[in-house]
Amino acid sequence: MPGGKKAESEEVAAKKKFSRRDFIVTGGAIAAVDALIATTPAKAAIPSPAKGTALPESKGYLIYDGKKCAGCTTCMLSCSLTHYGVQSLSLSRIQIIQDSFGKFPTDIKMAPCRQCKTPPCVENCPVGAAYVDTKNGNIRRIDSKKCIGCRTCLAMCPQQPHRTVWNHVEGKSSKCDLCVDTPHWNEKGGPGGKQACVESCPMKAIKFVAQMPDQTETDGYDVNLRNDYWLNLGLVESSTIIPPAMAAQAKAKKPAPKPKE
Amino acid sequence: MSGGYTGKIARVNLTTKTVSTIETAKYEEFGGGHGMGSAIFFDLVGDQLPFEAFDPRNLVIMMASPFSGTFMPGSGRCEVQGLGPGLYPVEWFGHSNFGGRFTSQLKFAGWDGIVVEGASDKPVWINIADDKIKIEDANGIWGMDTYDAQQEISRRVMPQMRYGEWAELANSCFTTQIPAVVCCGPAGENLSRIAALLHGPGSQAALCGFGAVFGSKKLKAISAIGTGGVPIADPKAFMDARLWFRQFQWDVDNPREPEKFAGRGYSLINGAPSGGNVSNGSLPLVPARAAACASCPRGCRMRLASADSNESVCAGSMFARIGGGGFGAPGGGGASAMPAILSGKLTRQGNDLMHRYGLGHWQLMATQGYIQFLERAGVFGKGKEIDPDLPPSGTFAYYEALMRKLSLREGKFGQLAGEAAARMADKLGRYKEDVNSGNVRLTYWGTQEHYSSQVEVEWGFGSLLGERDLMLHQMANYPLHWMAASGAPYLTAEEASKLYAEAMIPYNDDRYLVDYGEGPTGVYSDSKVKQVAWVKHYEKFWVGAGGFCGWRWPQCITNNTADRRGATPQAEPRFWNAVTGKKGTFADYMELGHKIYTLDRAIWVLQGRHRNMEVFPDYVYDKPAGGGSELPMVVDGAWKYDGGRGRKLDRDKVEDFKTRFYKFEGYNSENGFPTRATLEKMNLKKVADLLQSKSKLG
Repeated sequence: MPGGKKAESEEVAAKKKFSRRDFIVTGGAIAAVDALIATTPAKAAIPSPAKGTALPESKGYLIYDGKKCAGCTTCMLSCSLTHYGVQSLSLSRIQIIQDSFGKFPTDIKMAPCRQCKTPPCVENCPVGAAYVDTKNGNIRRIDSKKCIGCRTCLAMCPQQPHRTVWNHVEGKSSKCDLCVDTPHWNEKGGPGGKQACVESCPMKAIKFVAQMPDQTETDGYDVNLRNDYWLNLGLVESSTIIPPAMAAQAKAKKPAPKPKE
Repeated sequence: MSGGYTGKIARVNLTTKTVSTIETAKYEEFGGGHGMGSAIFFDLVGDQLPFEAFDPRNLVIMMASPFSGTFMPGSGRCEVQGLGPGLYPVEWFGHSNFGGRFTSQLKFAGWDGIVVEGASDKPVWINIADDKIKIEDANGIWGMDTYDAQQEISRRVMPQMRYGEWAELANSCFTTQIPAVVCCGPAGENLSRIAALLHGPGSQAALCGFGAVFGSKKLKAISAIGTGGVPIADPKAFMDARLWFRQFQWDVDNPREPEKFAGRGYSLINGAPSGGNVSNGSLPLVPARAAACASCPRGCRMRLASADSNESVCAGSMFARIGGGGFGAPGGGGASAMPAILSGKLTRQGNDLMHRYGLGHWQLMATQGYIQFLERAGVFGKGKEIDPDLPPSGTFAYYEALMRKLSLREGKFGQLAGEAAARMADKLGRYKEDVNSGNVRLTYWGTQEHYSSQVEVEWGFGSLLGERDLMLHQMANYPLHWMAASGAPYLTAEEASKLYAEAMIPYNDDRYLVDYGEGPTGVYSDSKVKQVAWVKHYEKFWVGAGGFCGWRWPQCITNNTADRRGATPQAEPRFWNAVTGKKGTFADYMELGHKIYTLDRAIWVLQGRHRNMEVFPDYVYDKPAGGGSELPMVVDGAWKYDGGRGRKLDRDKVEDFKTRFYKFEGYNSENGFPTRATLEKMNLKKVADLLQSKSKLG
């Protein structure tokens, strides 16, 4: 975490000066954040890097297959369980949004944190609660002890839905930490460890990777994780696709060609 | 209160338009779901029985379980209870359940269940959003089909919701989820006894006619959305259990022995995703995903690029077979010469129409079959008093007209057939003749025979000694019958029966629990008494109180492990104890199932149940069984799979079986009534007192 004890004490002072109410984000507008930046001593209130400063890349990412997800929400419940000890969709840091009446593939939207190369949550947090955890693979995290609940990170996340998640129980923001801090799980998380959503997904539709996904495409994290076993279930993404098993079956049924005279 | 519960149950009186709360703790000894529902029903109206299903005193009880809202595999079904207008000859205190995500949202909103009593004077719906419950005007929704009604209610609940984004429900509590709505359709509004409750496009509470109970109360729907959570007593143990359970799942990337189990012949029973939808299995395939109920690791459903037959399975995806569609082999010839791609499409849309009208597929199927029999028999038709006047069968027009007439009760035909097959036969004065002959196989309480009562006897006995079709495929039907029927069983009959017996605690010292032969350890034996008792107890606790899916549980054997052992009986108490913090054994919870079954039985007795009513129609004793069942049997001292073709049940032996079953369960064998000793041992003294006051104590 950037800043030492001194910085923290200065942040406390800053928090006293600017309460959570001063930073409440409503209707997409951020009230008082600019005022904060303008009036608070830089060292105390803006431990976040200046915008445009290159941050070390995360050493872990969650990629997923939006066509493979079955919408069981096991990943969401695993997330809230391992982090908070309860099962709650609203507290989950990965969101699966679905419409039962919808058309495949837009009936489901998978929404895990992207561990952005340039994370707006970190860049814009007025008190440095959102930070790059250099001790744990440069994961973009939120320190709930420092979070003042201003919701700037919710508003600044460019994704829909925003991947920073409001914890209404604590009145703080939260986000995916790749399971570094999972007090309710016997496994070690983080890069090099395990992730609850990855481990529990019965469709194996979420995968941890160390290499940064394609940032130029908006769906660079949404990849094909299906193999022929999946196709053989009859689950195709285009009517032109013939599952290998069905193709083999059709071939076997085809009458043998007549011998040439 | 221990983990898994939110602590309160909503009580909504539609007559007085008031909402109150029942403390869940008062009923914790019944586990949840069905157990709590039965106890609440007894407490609130037990002393007023008997009365009719459309009486405002009837209750609709919709209970969650401690597992609802958690990732317990294959749990979270919503148990619906109350007097069932679809049951016959008495509208028994019945139950039906549906999957999806209704109970999850109910729990997240902070409720362990909802009890609806009374009847409104105008159409209403119930709006549950976190701890707020409102009775809303259904103006503009009453009369809608179930799909439109659910989507309109979602818009009314959360007008601020934009799909794919966070929405604030209240007080800085956010969700990305769409409200979960359960509703009746036009069939329920018009009191058709075939009427189901629909949640989503394909989740039905299809049995008992609860859609019509909604209709009788002028209740269109209940919506639930919540932002809270479910407390877990031991989160680490629960997470460990969930990951341990992966060994019993179909590995989607690397399935075990795919050459044996990946084929369509195994698709319903191998545990693989999407196999439940049988209307999209032929080329060209409609692009689709596997779709799961909340918490289910299997995902037996589909959602299609065409959005037809979304989340429908089995009969819900193939009742209407248009141009030969359904069962993965749509059309492609036959009389209509309809292209396969079109017959598949129309078949899916035909089944969606059934869901839109809010008709229960299983009873609609029985009723349609009986209508066609009566047409062939010359009872219905041109120039007769009842003329269905339906287009040619197998066409979309046929199904559209049939469903409309039954749902809207159009004409004499709609009035009569909307009563469902049993009461239709009764009103025609043909019930005894047609049911005893097997012309219409309404084998148990007005619900149709599902599998051979002569051969697959635990299903028949379990239904007869219950109040409707047992409808629990995973007890023995999928793992045994369909495994053997596949032609390539992965276990011999001896191996399968051994693993089954070992899993069926507390009767696991009996090697012959699943012997379906006619020998001394077969279908009339004490072993079968124990199997049927086990089925009823499992049904009442794990499936009923735990909200388990009957397609998933129990799991005594599986193709997904090396030794073929399933998750039962290790998984159930491991998960239950982790969630609730209790320390019970599998046997402890099965005894709770016994208690719940006994309470149900007491309620049926208050409605007039007697052992003399628990008899099969004559055809079960007089007509030989056809094919279809393949089950383990001991024949000439050796285990084998056999269909039991040609078998008839013996009346005297069945009656003797019943006598021993009643005694085994602690009931009076002369009348089947629970005894005071049994009830008091189960801490049900007040039930014994009420039965005694009505001269119904065993």
